[in-house]
Amino acid sequence: MQRLLILALILFHVALFSQNTAIGTSEKLVFTASYNMSGILTDLAEVKMETSPVKTSKTTLLRLKCTATTYSKWDSFFKIRDLYESYVSPRSLTPYLYKRDIDEGGYYKFMQYTFSHKTHTVKSLKKKRNGKGEIWEEKKNVSIGSSTRDIVSTIYNIRNIDFSQFQKGTSKTFKVIFDNKEHVVNIKNLGQEQLSTALGSKMCHKLSISMNNDVLKGSNDNLLWLTADANKIPVFAKFKIAVGNGELKIKSASGLKN
Amino acid sequence: MKKALTILAIISSILAVILSVLPLSNLAFIPAIGSLIFGLAAFYFANKNNQPKHTVQLAFLLTIIALSIATYKSIFTETEVGNTEALEKKEEESVEDSMEILEGLDTEEIDGIEVEELDGIETDELEDVDTNELDDLDIEDEDL
Repeated sequence: MQRLLILALILFHVALFSQNTAIGTSEKLVFTASYNMSGILTDLAEVKMETSPVKTSKTTLLRLKCTATTYSKWDSFFKIRDLYESYVSPRSLTPYLYKRDIDEGGYYKFMQYTFSHKTHTVKSLKKKRNGKGEIWEEKKNVSIGSSTRDIVSTIYNIRNIDFSQFQKGTSKTFKVIFDNKEHVVNIKNLGQEQLSTALGSKMCHKLSISMNNDVLKGSNDNLLWLTADANKIPVFAKFKIAVGNGELKIKSASGLKN
Repeated sequence: MKKALTILAIISSILAVILSVLPLSNLAFIPAIGSLIFGLAAFYFANKNNQPKHTVQLAFLLTIIALSIATYKSIFTETEVGNTEALEKKEEESVEDSMEILEGLDTEEIDGIEVEELDGIETDELEDVDTNELDDLDIEDEDL
């Protein structure tokens, strides 16, 4: 009986922390990315985050797609056409396949990870364009931790945080594989804030994001606001990177789960 | 003094004109304001000493042109995404390629073992538990 009770508690835990409660299967979030130049924010690019179901012969997966496209006025100066994809389990958002295809002002890079969660490894494929314009590729096997995910599925997983268990002032860590290296992302709950957004005035969870590398600068300079409702939509983000700082503001949201 | 201020006004106004025609037109307001301040100061000294004001007037003219272009662009230019045909094609190709890869993967393995640390929460005690066995128990969440 006691064993059954423990088992039931474990099952409850599994059900509680492995369910996708916030992300719909045909969700579309559109953002405007602005870059801060000498104190003046300039709209730089449109960022889209979309989800769609993908059927294979064995199962149905969820495709998480993020694209970044510079506005036309910037295209002749610095054209960005970035595509990030992650194919995940719709139930728990655990990734099977991740792809990153970036084209930024002539700089091209492609990364692909195929996850093997049984062996805790990732098969990585990297493609890059060299000085002669030729594309070369590199294949690697990278060992990862049991909870390591790609960057896209991690962003979506942050939205599945149970805030009733995540009190103000506490932190959570996520392990992310990026450029064949594992990084630790630390998320700290800074409490709630009312924010005026394109979706209306929303009560939001304010989170601080930091990483154990030099990608994100500062301690409390990278902030993310998620709506304090069941959808936990990322409505606003502030980031500080090596070349400056910027903002990400929501423009529209559709196909929400709740 | 007047000469130095005039030179600063001219340089700022030229910079403002250059910035106003670039996508960074919002930034043109900074040198334009600088140019107006330097120009007004130069104009004051020129008036005081009864000196010619043609160069200062040129700086004002350039500043007005820069401000007009920057204001027009900030009001009437719509921020729209450029041509995304190549990106859309890339997306389609990527989906096709991904489908081939996913067909070759054991996609049932994940849901059987994914009990650890979702949402960053350590659940070490679950590591030895096979969730397939748990699923077989047919206990609904609501029952708990």
